[in-house]
Amino acid sequence: MTDLAFLLSLTVLAMVLLAGALAMRRAGLWRIGRAAKVDWTAGLIALPKRYLVDVHHVVGRDRYAARMHALAAGGLLAGSGLALLGLIPALGDIRLFWWLTALAFAAAFAGGAMVGRRRLPVKPARLSGGRFQILPLLLAAYSGGGFLVALDASLGGALWPLGLLGLALAAVGGLGLAWQIDRGPMRHAFAGAAHLVAHPRPGRFNGERATALAALDLDAPRLGVALPEDFAFNRLIGFDACIQCGRCEVACPAFAAGQPLNPKRLIQDLAASLQPGATNAAYAGSPYPNARPVAGVGGPGLPIVGAGAMIHPDTLWSCTTCRACVEECPMMIEHVDAILDLRRFQTLELGAVPARAAAPLMELRYADEPGGRPLTSRTDFAAGLTLPLIAAKGEAEVLLWLGEGAYELRYGRTLRALVTLLHKAKVDFAVLGEEERDCGDLARRLGDEASFQRLARANIDTLSRYRFARILTADPHALHALRNEYRDFGGAYEVVHHTAFLDELAAAGRLAFGALDEARVTYHDPCYLGRYNGEVEAPRRLLDRLGIARLEMERSGKRSMCCGGGGGAPVSDIEGERRIPDIRMAQASATGAGIVAVACPQCSAMLEGVTGERPAVHDIAELVLMAVEKAGPTPARSAQVPA
Amino acid sequence: MKIAVLLSAGRHSVSGRPAPVPVELQALRLAVDLAAQCGGQSGGDVTGLHAGPELGPLTDALGHGLAHLIHLRGEGTADPAPALATALAAGGYDLILAGRAGQGGWDAGLLPYTLARALGLPIIADAAGLAPGEAPGTLGVEQALARGARRRLVVRLPALVTVHSAAPAPLPFAFAGMRRGRVETREAPPAPAPAPDVEERAYRPRPKLIAKAATGASALERLRAATEAASGGGRLLVDPAPEEAAREILAHLRALGLPAGR
Repeated sequence: MTDLAFLLSLTVLAMVLLAGALAMRRAGLWRIGRAAKVDWTAGLIALPKRYLVDVHHVVGRDRYAARMHALAAGGLLAGSGLALLGLIPALGDIRLFWWLTALAFAAAFAGGAMVGRRRLPVKPARLSGGRFQILPLLLAAYSGGGFLVALDASLGGALWPLGLLGLALAAVGGLGLAWQIDRGPMRHAFAGAAHLVAHPRPGRFNGERATALAALDLDAPRLGVALPEDFAFNRLIGFDACIQCGRCEVACPAFAAGQPLNPKRLIQDLAASLQPGATNAAYAGSPYPNARPVAGVGGPGLPIVGAGAMIHPDTLWSCTTCRACVEECPMMIEHVDAILDLRRFQTLELGAVPARAAAPLMELRYADEPGGRPLTSRTDFAAGLTLPLIAAKGEAEVLLWLGEGAYELRYGRTLRALVTLLHKAKVDFAVLGEEERDCGDLARRLGDEASFQRLARANIDTLSRYRFARILTADPHALHALRNEYRDFGGAYEVVHHTAFLDELAAAGRLAFGALDEARVTYHDPCYLGRYNGEVEAPRRLLDRLGIARLEMERSGKRSMCCGGGGGAPVSDIEGERRIPDIRMAQASATGAGIVAVACPQCSAMLEGVTGERPAVHDIAELVLMAVEKAGPTPARSAQVPA
Repeated sequence: MKIAVLLSAGRHSVSGRPAPVPVELQALRLAVDLAAQCGGQSGGDVTGLHAGPELGPLTDALGHGLAHLIHLRGEGTADPAPALATALAAGGYDLILAGRAGQGGWDAGLLPYTLARALGLPIIADAAGLAPGEAPGTLGVEQALARGARRRLVVRLPALVTVHSAAPAPLPFAFAGMRRGRVETREAPPAPAPAPDVEERAYRPRPKLIAKAATGASALERLRAATEAASGGGRLLVDPAPEEAAREILAHLRALGLPAGR
């Protein structure tokens, strides 16, 4: 073993000690968070799988980034680990061992070069600058220096002048990297590992969608999150895990529309709030678009939200809760949960909901309906159709949950089509009629957990009085609430979306389709069906059965873009530069399709609101009915028309 | 400034379920804002008062910015006026706010007048805005008149003011505010059922109000007569050019003293 190699090993040891000390200091800050139930053993055992499979699955969507990260991180860990092992005399004296070490550092150098090529000469907008911009230099210095020292050692000290240069480089680069462990880019390495172990939604790694919001204890002394220490500690770890890759901001519909939300910046502001005497000055990525002015100061014991704090309330209310950021995040950070926790405090403790959102929440409290409309008129859309009431039948195979869309004239047409199809397929179904209350989705997303829980309990109470096998709904928001979020309150139901149900009926031969000679169609995935519930296949299969040419938009499936209608965004109405549905409709137009197929009352309303030349908007149920009417003899409806 | 806000047991206009009366929550908002404006001088203090058998959802008023709610518990049939008058007289309030009418009960809007007479206070109807008066012990009231007009008054306190639905919207509900708020229950002395000072008359078909001059004239003239009668003046333009219509509207708004243009 050469002296230089020995010194390299000592450098690595110093790096490890420095990084360890800084990491411990940072981890100490996480302890201010609330307690949370974490299965440490299971998390630790699952860590390699979570990292190599689940994280890689997301990172791998960008192949360049995946290769870059594999080389840089793999080479760095392997090279440093080997150099450290070189302190064991039995290993350090083997020349082949240093060959291996040199190889590992060479890989890390290649990775570092890829990091540099991505950022230089022009940094893509989604990546952060500042400390991140010197990262490739530090990586190159450390791995290049390590390579030279290891190469020299493998040759028995033949290249010692190069080795000496290498050692100097490795020391500067390596200690520079270690120095970044608590605030710089390298923080994501240890915080990310801790986040994967203690993840607040471990179900995500076991193939579950795990998207239901956690119920809030309404007897807690403080409702929601006001201060950094109100977050559970494993949420705080999650904020520190962010590597500022900016994939979330690219996916965020509010960011695209110029509303003051940037998920990356939000997570950075939250992570910064952990530090006593914190400011947001170190952030060097894209700002919140049209950012509202804030003081930008915070820290433990100080509020997070407010003009005098880190985050402006408009940032919170811009979110459509579409989870696109969560879906894109390679570090599996839960942005939407954080936003909801902050919203809960604003709504429940301060009553600081956006001006126009207060009225629907008030109507929900006293009329169980956000528009303050009579529950009896929910079934008005079905005038002239037979709509069996479950109160009259007592039981039915399928309970049809109508949802809020039933009050709307446009969506009423969709529900009419669905009811007509159910009759044609001879499905034994019934509706709750005036006993159906709002599912509480709007209240919950606006942070009004109290109203949500009251509505959930009332609906569960109503549902418990009737017998049915399944709940069918055309509203993915109601579907998500009934299927996933009522469970916490004792309501477990099998809930099926109308697209999946119609697909089942078609597969069973209970609906016969004629060929539609319609224009080509593109399908817009509702967030609460696709991303929240993973249902992206059935609607497409159903469309394909209709024999219309189907085109895919630039963003589709679980990576689809929101219509702007979720999370109470239409009632919060935060000003931006563009409208989200306009952006989405432009993507639909770009496919050349003549029809945008939707499967959600919110999407239907938002996309129908787009003006100008654009594809027609039809719910899948309407398209299915068109195809069925083409197939059958004469549709029953035309026979009723008096001559 | 000590402010009392009267809260009545209302019902939601559509669902018919027990609910606070929106215009009373608006009154509460005016009171909270006014108390905040006076906070520097003498400290604002807002108390809610309800007389009736039970509070029900009136505790929600605590979530709309009220800190202290006094419940004068009495028989369901009892007249609330004596209990309220006693409590208001004992409380020494500078300002008493009420909605212009309840919702879902008698809705007569007479109770504030009954109380004002019992307490010997001046009553101002239909406030849409309140501000501390320039002289101490006075209150600036912006009174809502018909057709969007406003009138500014200065009232010497104590006074009773009813609030119009044109006032700012209620403060948004905060669940934790409701949890924090204090409810004080007092037993109200038994009182007889209210004996409203009204007379009953037999139903009489109301005469049609279309102006006589227009009978037999063309449909357009009848329409003009009817709308002019209902609007009490103004000009009827039939199918005007958009520019002309806009000019007329602006001129009308200016005539009403409302600022035209931003």
